[in-house]
Amino acid sequence: MRHNKWLLLVVAIFLGLVLAACSSGSDSTEAEDEEKILNIAERSDIPTMDPIMTEDNVSTQWIDTVYEGLYRQAPGGEIVSGIAKMEETEVSEDGLTYTFHLREDAEWENGDPVTAQDFVYGWQRANNPDNGSFYGNYLMSGKIKHSEEIFAGEMEPEELGVSAQDDHTFVVELETPIAYFDSYVTNANFLPAHQEFVEEQGDDFSLSPDNIMSNGPFTMTEWNTEEGWTVEKNESYWDAENVALDGISVKVIKDADTRLSNYDVGELDRVLLSGSQVSDNQTSPDYHSLTESSIFWLKMNQESVENSEYMQNENFRKALAKAFDKQSYVDVNYGNDSVPVDFFVPANFAEHPETGEDFQTGSDVLSYDVEAAQEYWATAKEELDFDEITLTFLSKDDDVAKNISEFMKTELETNLEGLTIEANNVPWSRQLELMRDKEYDLAVSGWGPDYIDPISFVDLWITDGENNDVGYSSEEYDEIVESVKGELANDPVARFEAMREAEEIALEDAVISPIMQRKTSVLFKGNVKGLDQFNPYGNNYSYKYVDIE
Amino acid sequence: MVKYIFQRIIYMVITLFIIATATFFLMKLLPGSPFNDLGGKMTEAQEQLLMEKYGLDEPVPVQYAKYMAGMVQGDLGVSFQYDNRNVTDIILTRLGPSAHLGAQALIIGSILGIILGMTAAIRHNTWWDYTSNVLAVIGISIPSFVFAGLLQYYFAVQWRLFPVSFWEGPIYTVLPTIALMIFPMAICARFMRSEMLEVLGSDYIELARAKGVSNNTIMFKHALRNAVIPVITVLGPMTVSLMTGTLVIEQIFAVPGIGEQFVRSINTNDYPVIMGTSMLFSVMFIVIILIVDLLYGLIDPRIRITGGKD
Repeated sequence: MRHNKWLLLVVAIFLGLVLAACSSGSDSTEAEDEEKILNIAERSDIPTMDPIMTEDNVSTQWIDTVYEGLYRQAPGGEIVSGIAKMEETEVSEDGLTYTFHLREDAEWENGDPVTAQDFVYGWQRANNPDNGSFYGNYLMSGKIKHSEEIFAGEMEPEELGVSAQDDHTFVVELETPIAYFDSYVTNANFLPAHQEFVEEQGDDFSLSPDNIMSNGPFTMTEWNTEEGWTVEKNESYWDAENVALDGISVKVIKDADTRLSNYDVGELDRVLLSGSQVSDNQTSPDYHSLTESSIFWLKMNQESVENSEYMQNENFRKALAKAFDKQSYVDVNYGNDSVPVDFFVPANFAEHPETGEDFQTGSDVLSYDVEAAQEYWATAKEELDFDEITLTFLSKDDDVAKNISEFMKTELETNLEGLTIEANNVPWSRQLELMRDKEYDLAVSGWGPDYIDPISFVDLWITDGENNDVGYSSEEYDEIVESVKGELANDPVARFEAMREAEEIALEDAVISPIMQRKTSVLFKGNVKGLDQFNPYGNNYSYKYVDIE
Repeated sequence: MVKYIFQRIIYMVITLFIIATATFFLMKLLPGSPFNDLGGKMTEAQEQLLMEKYGLDEPVPVQYAKYMAGMVQGDLGVSFQYDNRNVTDIILTRLGPSAHLGAQALIIGSILGIILGMTAAIRHNTWWDYTSNVLAVIGISIPSFVFAGLLQYYFAVQWRLFPVSFWEGPIYTVLPTIALMIFPMAICARFMRSEMLEVLGSDYIELARAKGVSNNTIMFKHALRNAVIPVITVLGPMTVSLMTGTLVIEQIFAVPGIGEQFVRSINTNDYPVIMGTSMLFSVMFIVIILIVDLLYGLIDPRIRITGGKD
């Protein structure tokens, strides 16, 4: 019997601990009833809160939430005034000089005014090669005056084409007119920075709430590594009266089921669904499917180390492009509402500058059509004189990617006689290397834009373009894209038409085979307003405009 | 004894040096660079610029020499995936929750396991024994993440007795601790039972009984002390693996622990963090082995620890 007592003792201690813990955990809910606190989860911690170092969705989202630049994205991607008054912005006739007039009531968290000098410093900081900003280089080079030379180390960061005419007038000089400047300039690399504060913080800048000086709708009040963070409404924000939420509490939850469970018990107001969660929750009143501007496509590498002679044949590529069922691709691999597409500039993304008509009107050149595919295949066989061929399908090594390889192998092998697909599933970093070295035949990949303009997609396929790893080259296409980036920059309508023409040419040439425009499935509570659409680029949501009723 | 410990510490330093060297060069063989998580948008020239900034363009031996020089002075560098964050800080903040959970699971699990095993041996071939055996087999054969999922579903989602996840107070540790302690508990119970049975059948226990020593003294002074040696042997490495966190459990309960960090740093080629976490695991492992060796001597004086040839 003695041993039973021991056991009882241990159980009693254990239960005691549990009960003690229970009683201490329940006093935090009282004050929250009146405050509008949005509770959400992110899939990872914030990699960086330093605006010029951001390279991922989570950082971009939260930097946007605590800072404000010249302009800001309203829900759905409309560009509205930020620190600069949009309606007062002056553009020179050649489109090369922008003069922004800043509002005088904009303040940093510590009460200092946000001035044109802060923008000059912020932009120079992003452009300084010593600071290692990837997106600064990516976005500014060749566009902002002298940016490219500064990144190459040939000029000093102070020589960047930006200046403060006075405290509230900020002037930007460009190398070339940028038709999409308004959305382009909302990127985090174009945010102002409080020079004195940034220099005082040194290497600690942005590492904790105390090392961040915000000027946006919210300020960060707490940030615990890998646990979560909290932002509170910034009362000194110039437009504070239009910020509805009192704060947002974010938890880091990496496991999809844990996220959903937390939503079910009421800990979260919104949750992203993944895998089978989508079909399980499709009938819920909280279910929403949000359109993204990311397009996924099948790459057909014309400079393939092994099979370039085949891949360069247009009929060969068209056969591959039309031989797989895009709707099944979405159903089998994602099971959500992503839309099968036959184009590569997303729908609901860019509008005609005058009529407001959507850029994307659809195309059927590369639509799924087994019979047509088999005809192209037969022609290709004749032209290239082959009966059987093996192509490699390069893909990542996670579960979804493996399913995709299996799916593509089955579809293509079934529909195209004599074709063998060899799946090559490797880690993502290895896939990027292989694609860069052109050591692949087929691969699925996607692209998301950094500003609202079809050129973000159309520019991909120019000859020897930095991201053109399918080896496509067309003089006609190059000429059009050149004119879009050059002489047509100040003629929006002609430019718009030219980009449509370019997309058509590339599709006719089967540069890639479009697959789908991604959608994301979410659940959010009925009383939460403003989470019902994704922004087309950059930060997914504009929390400034979110409300709880 | 002092000489022995001193000698062991010298060996430990040499071992660590070898591990650090091997890890460093193996890690450099990983495909890709730390800067490839950008949807493939980066050009080679841009990547080159970043490589230069972080000193990754230098020959690997030079990088190695610099890293080792820094490490000796306690500088583990800064992370790539969390821009500019100090590796030492990352490791220290993330080790806390893992060590906390691990220690709780280890202490409760091993105590329960030892009690379970002892009870089973003392009441050999009764329902106590059978129940304990079944529990042990279940605990060993079912992976902890299955328990974690079940516990979470029933105790948090269905019955709402505990929070689903997060790391905000003692109550948040209950479910993950239970999920984590099942395995050490089962292992301890198995070892304890078989060792105890053997010890209880030995001559000196017979002798003690014959001399009229009380049952309690026999059990706790003679039997337990002898039977616990193999348990300690398995508990050593288990301590390290529990304290350094478990990827799956941490993900399921959204615990900001270090288990997940290690895996992710490898996936993202975050070299300084890979080195930092590897060194942490190695140091803990080596120290635990030393402690276990010293414990043997304390628990069972027949195991003599001496240095050198004598």
